[in-house]
Amino acid sequence: MFDRWFPNGEWILLVALLVEIAIFSAIAPNFLTLGNGFEVTRLSIELGLLAIALTPVIITGGIDLSVGSLLGLAAVLFGAAYRDWGLPLPAAASIAVLVGLAGGGLNALLIARLNLPPLIVTLGSFSLFRGLAEAVTRGAVNYTEFPSGFLLLGQGYLWSVVPAQLPIFLLVFVAYVILLHRSVLGRALYAIGFSAAGARYAGIPVSKRLALVYLLAGLVSSVAALIYVAHLGQARSDAGTGYELDAITAVVLGGTSVFGGRGNLWGTLLGLAALSVLKNGLHLAALPSELTGVLIGTLLVATIAVDRLRTRGHAPLAVHSEEEETPVKNSQVAILCGAILGGAILVAGTNVWLIRSIQPVLRGGSEASAPTGTRRPVVAVMPKAKGDPYFVSCRTGAAEAAKELGVDLIWDGPTSLDAARQNELVENWITRGVDVIAVAVENRAGISTVLRKARQRGIGVLSWDADAEPDARDYFVNQATPEGIANALTDEAARLLDGKGEFAIITGALSAANQNEWIAFIKKRLGDKYPDLQLATIRPSDDDRDKAFSETQTILRVYPSVELVMAISAPAVPGAAEAVRQARRSDVKVIGLSLPSICKPYIDAGIVQTIVLWDTRDLGYLTVYAGSLLAQESIPEGTKSLEAGRLGSVEVRGTEIVLGPPVLINKANIAQFDF
Amino acid sequence: MLRRHRREVSVVIAIAALAIVLAAVAPGYFARANLRDLFLANLPVLIIALGATLVILTGEIDISVGSVFAVCGVTAGLAAKAGLPVLAAGLAACAVGAATGAINGLLVAKVRVPSIVVTLAMMVALRDALRWGTEGAWVQDLPTGFQWLGLTQSLYPVAMGAVAIALVGAMAWGMRHLAVGRAIYATGSNPDAARLVGFDTAFVKLSVFAVAGGLTGLAALLNAVRFNQIPTNAGLGLEMKVIAAVVVGGAAIRGGQGNIVGTLLGVTLLSAIGPALTFLGVSAYWERAIQGGIILAAVALDAARERADTQRTRIRPQGPAYV
Repeated sequence: MFDRWFPNGEWILLVALLVEIAIFSAIAPNFLTLGNGFEVTRLSIELGLLAIALTPVIITGGIDLSVGSLLGLAAVLFGAAYRDWGLPLPAAASIAVLVGLAGGGLNALLIARLNLPPLIVTLGSFSLFRGLAEAVTRGAVNYTEFPSGFLLLGQGYLWSVVPAQLPIFLLVFVAYVILLHRSVLGRALYAIGFSAAGARYAGIPVSKRLALVYLLAGLVSSVAALIYVAHLGQARSDAGTGYELDAITAVVLGGTSVFGGRGNLWGTLLGLAALSVLKNGLHLAALPSELTGVLIGTLLVATIAVDRLRTRGHAPLAVHSEEEETPVKNSQVAILCGAILGGAILVAGTNVWLIRSIQPVLRGGSEASAPTGTRRPVVAVMPKAKGDPYFVSCRTGAAEAAKELGVDLIWDGPTSLDAARQNELVENWITRGVDVIAVAVENRAGISTVLRKARQRGIGVLSWDADAEPDARDYFVNQATPEGIANALTDEAARLLDGKGEFAIITGALSAANQNEWIAFIKKRLGDKYPDLQLATIRPSDDDRDKAFSETQTILRVYPSVELVMAISAPAVPGAAEAVRQARRSDVKVIGLSLPSICKPYIDAGIVQTIVLWDTRDLGYLTVYAGSLLAQESIPEGTKSLEAGRLGSVEVRGTEIVLGPPVLINKANIAQFDF
Repeated sequence: MLRRHRREVSVVIAIAALAIVLAAVAPGYFARANLRDLFLANLPVLIIALGATLVILTGEIDISVGSVFAVCGVTAGLAAKAGLPVLAAGLAACAVGAATGAINGLLVAKVRVPSIVVTLAMMVALRDALRWGTEGAWVQDLPTGFQWLGLTQSLYPVAMGAVAIALVGAMAWGMRHLAVGRAIYATGSNPDAARLVGFDTAFVKLSVFAVAGGLTGLAALLNAVRFNQIPTNAGLGLEMKVIAAVVVGGAAIRGGQGNIVGTLLGVTLLSAIGPALTFLGVSAYWERAIQGGIILAAVALDAARERADTQRTRIRPQGPAYV
């Protein structure tokens, strides 16, 4: 019975999915609602499209690591065609589709025609496509301001509840079901995956069929790119980063074998559902995003291990003679029961651990259900990237304020910079029904749509660290203006170099919005005030200390007249400083924007002259304080200042709450800062 | 003779071409200090790539090396802070790496879960578990004897040069002359035939994953001791670099083909490209695209030549390529 409906052991995953749903229904507010169901669906569609396209690729025994990068390239060229080249929307969309076909065609040519291994080909095109997207935009350009009719595709609803992009997804899904399961082509793909040589002897044109699946993968990537742009309202070179691994996870989770020859689209759909429900439920339960990776990894190995053990049990039975038919059946039943129990135990064990992790949340939840008058406000605060030392420091202040005010703080965000995942988390918080949402905005245009939606639902909205569109939030907690930061850095560089000479900038990622804004203001300041101070080069660190170190070493050699390195990403300052130290270039100065705790050894040693920053704990503190006041509707319009606990009175300029001017931290005062 | 090493020859030609351009346009690239820094920056990649070569030779793959690298680096740092001498901290890092590799190997060899799935799960789980455990805080205030393994900054590169030569030499020799090397090639070429001949292919795979994990731990240590703080987000994207280097160096993803010298050449070529572009004045924005293009060109060129060879000889032995 099982084998007919679940030929690849998908029932194991179905059990896991049902257990997930049962647990999250119990512990996560508003999880089991129609609205949340459709929301999960909407947030899964780009990933789902890629997973569907990858299924036949993997069934043929291949793989495609470039679908995420191709999505990014198609998105960027769509944006360029519409905004830069002035093409009408249909023509720009056609260009995106052509880019997808061209990318898929390149993979198809190399894999099907030259018989190259899919993994290495798509690893190369993974770099090529992402690199081309960065080259076209020079990392910094972000295409926005698409017509609202187009944005409906990613942000609108049919009948007020069904996501507008769902019909497109279903159309692609049906097309692939027909291709894979209801056509001779599909049977050919399975044959190729099972044995390419055997398929060739059977008369199947192997090269053409392989080329087809890679071409279609490119095409579907471009469709996903269009939906992605409509969903976020922006096209940027880092669109789709990491999607290929998530898509592969969904496909493999769904029972498709990476060895080829086995799998189906229903399994992929089930895998996608398991991943999406897991993420959604964890967010609604206010559990950390890091848990997602751990649980997905566990689920992935457990599901496939159980299936492997099950299929291993079948193989020897095939050789049994007919006389032993009854014992064979009993053995089969025993093996199946063992597999089911094993799978159930694994999933249950995972969830027992999950429940233990959420005990504090349950207590918080029970308090939340107390009478209205005594309910604690829930303030949800999102950093740009949880792992960044800068935001780790902000969290300390946020927790301090939450404790002081008796507020429930939810602190969660993407584990690395990702605008799409920020959006997803805000959607989850809206569903959960928090009182205030405060976001350190990774991408202004991308986040503003979902923040407007939050405001419409009566949720207070703050932006902090970096701003959203003014109409998308109530207040912006501004630690310092980009211009203030840029001017402080530039003035300090000029002071150290006596207003003349060359310096280099180590930025974060080439596409980082804050850094690019600072660089623009730095260039303006140079032009206005310091004509003899020259910017020799800008190199990326990708927020990686080691890369900043290597880039600085190279800069010191290629640009020997550079006398100062300005590192404007927190991990980049110690990297640049270590490079200067190891090169024994005491004549080269280092300044930047970073944390005292990781720069102190270099400041004390005189290698780093100055870091420009605000008190990051105070920023977190002020953000939660403002959130609490907003939740109580205690900030009347026209307010000029507000009392924020130990910070005293802070200035309110219009809809900006200003922490204060940036602080110059140097050898003389660094002892005062312990964050 | 050269035909058996056509991939290595292609990589040597590419390296030579790059060197000629650099010598003409930017001779400063060849300053001793620059070459030394390039060596130290890419030594971890080389060491990990040596382990990855063994894995790929058996027909498997390991994309968890970036996450294992980060975990091992933090392990070494925490062990040093706890008072262990630096060599003991290094052993702890290698042990953690080997244990992780053994888990990967166990799942691949015994439970027969595909290696790309096992190591994908391990990559995601370890990365997020590390973030969760450390909350992104760096390991700081390392003891003074930790940096440079207690040697001086000038002595450390010499010691590392010796380590690299010893490792590459020993592994290249062992793969060619020891039974274990033949076992690895046999397992990758045709696992069923290898099993019939008497090799325990499951044990070979498990061992190879464990060794690769241990080498990743060693690489993490050698990278960590160059600094006085250890970030917890190290190794992002490292697996792609490692796999690209191994494959550009001539290893077949399907297994059974490739060698240690090819990996050394692959690491050399790919590690040289980034800084070379800076010396040549190419904007950072083009770097990733050029890297991808070079990878595709390397493998496509090889395929084109192989096609020509096939047409010329029609029937050609499919044996493994030895050094």
